[in-house]
Amino acid sequence: MLSIKLNAVDLAFNNTAVLSDLSLDITQQRVALIGRNGAGKSQLVRLIAGLIRPDRGTVRVNGVDVGRDRRAALQTVGILFQNPDHQLIFPTVMEELCFGIQQQGQTRAQAQDMAQAMLQRFACADWGPRVVHGLSQGQRHLVCLMAVLLMRPALILLDEPFAGLDMATTRRLGRYLEGLDQALLHVTHDLAAIAGYERVIWLDHGQVLADGPPDTVLPQFRAHMMALGDGDAVAEL
Amino acid sequence: MLSLNSEPRSFWHDVPAGPKLLALLIATGLAMWLPNAAAAAMAFVAVMGLYAVAGWAFLRQGLLALRPVLFVAALILAWHGWALSWGQGALVVARMLALIALANLVSMSTALADLLDRVERALAWLRVPPLWRQRLALSVALVVRFTPVLIVKGQQLQRAWRARSRRRPGWRLMLPFVLGALDDAETVSEALRARTGTL
Amino acid sequence: MARHIAQIALFAALIAALGLVPKFDLAAGVPITAQSLGVMLAGCLLGARRGALAVLLFLFLVALGLPLLAGGRGGLGVFMGPTVGFLLGFPVAAFVTGYFSAQWRGSAPVVTTVLAAILGGVFVLYIFGIVGFAMVTGQTLAQATSIMWVFVPGDVVKAGLAGIITESVLRLRPGLAAQG
Repeated sequence: MLSIKLNAVDLAFNNTAVLSDLSLDITQQRVALIGRNGAGKSQLVRLIAGLIRPDRGTVRVNGVDVGRDRRAALQTVGILFQNPDHQLIFPTVMEELCFGIQQQGQTRAQAQDMAQAMLQRFACADWGPRVVHGLSQGQRHLVCLMAVLLMRPALILLDEPFAGLDMATTRRLGRYLEGLDQALLHVTHDLAAIAGYERVIWLDHGQVLADGPPDTVLPQFRAHMMALGDGDAVAEL
Repeated sequence: MLSLNSEPRSFWHDVPAGPKLLALLIATGLAMWLPNAAAAAMAFVAVMGLYAVAGWAFLRQGLLALRPVLFVAALILAWHGWALSWGQGALVVARMLALIALANLVSMSTALADLLDRVERALAWLRVPPLWRQRLALSVALVVRFTPVLIVKGQQLQRAWRARSRRRPGWRLMLPFVLGALDDAETVSEALRARTGTL
Repeated sequence: MARHIAQIALFAALIAALGLVPKFDLAAGVPITAQSLGVMLAGCLLGARRGALAVLLFLFLVALGLPLLAGGRGGLGVFMGPTVGFLLGFPVAAFVTGYFSAQWRGSAPVVTTVLAAILGGVFVLYIFGIVGFAMVTGQTLAQATSIMWVFVPGDVVKAGLAGIITESVLRLRPGLAAQG
């Protein structure tokens, strides 16, 4: 059973408070994180991935202190960034897929077998030697997803992975994600994509503004955004 | 992907990287003892002969690879002829071209992976710790991955400039270009941390 | 450590890209390669040690045969040519530039950075470049020096740009200076 626990977390970035005294307890398998640009969603996701550490308070995923115990964190949390170019480190698809699992202790040969099996699962068995730079945006997203899945984390964090993708690609990747056994924490502006989730958390200025099932949170959120969008205060942009 | 490797495979592709590198090293040392222009010219012809062994297409490629230095070679020759002696100039230029051509031959006929493998083994032999060898391999992969990304970004910056100005961009694009690369380094280090415990 | 590796690798890629992006000219009409500017910037922005490592990594890939030098040259052949001294001087230039720009940092950072870039990226670099040129082309050091003078003004301009760019970058990304 999944458990993400944030206890009284403070986080500042360049001397500006991003999150203040935030506590959260997440046990659901499908959770969405919504809010305006700059609400602190991305920083929260990075905290839960253990990529940054809180200035105060604790962040634990399945009991693992993800910011400190990196080795255990790798088995626990995977993250899919918005821009695949921020994630793909290696020139070829096979190197990319093998890197993470080799870090987890697999030998090169084992890693290659696992990567090949993963490529087959997504019907792209011949991708191994292909050059990442030559893949389309959607294909690169898929490589990122496969690389994360190979590491078998209990939780996958999605930081707006569909921004800028065409409808068909979004739909296809969305279908892949739905079918996963892993728990998902999904940051998105696409409200339709999360209508079927168990829980939606609305973050604003580093604090939780609403938290509950989509039927109650999403209508409030929509109404609020409409009102803001129709107003003229530039400071609210 | 980025590579200088020759497309038509040649006889020299099948010779292992180690001996080729060793031969190049020895030839470089010996070339310093070439006595006169005639000997240097023979050395150059001999290197061309090595290319020819692998076929005309390979020889042609080898000659094309020499094109960028021909202008400088001509200048050096002229300078020597004017200031010292033509014989000395011919010796220097022929020796230089022979060595460049020989080194090009090794590079053209050796796959990047083989060279890296050779380096890896040399470092292991020198007792370089595995962690440092892994870091080197990772760094090499990162450069190969991100050089084309940065080239595209440079072109995008130039396009963005031209869309709004008739003047040439010049050095002012350097700042956003450098900033972009530094910011990329941040996201890459994040991606590395997302998948590695210790590095 | 992940951050240092990423910075070193990205800067090596940057130096390569500076030589390969078509028409990344520095002054109007004068196609001076921006690659040696990249070398100075590596020292100024990453510091002496990491700056020099970035340049070494770049040269390592050139030696492995990647066509990363300005104009798409690469391979072992370039280390046999007349400019070999400049190539071997690159990492030293980055180190010296980085070392002194950090040492001299004070009330007038642009000026001291420019001076450090002139010392490392021009003076030290040309010592290597001239010795290499003299050896490959069989000239005396005096002859080689008299030929190389022509290129010095361009490189001094680059040192000036390195100073301006470094200060702008450090102002916009204060975290870079703080990590030392």
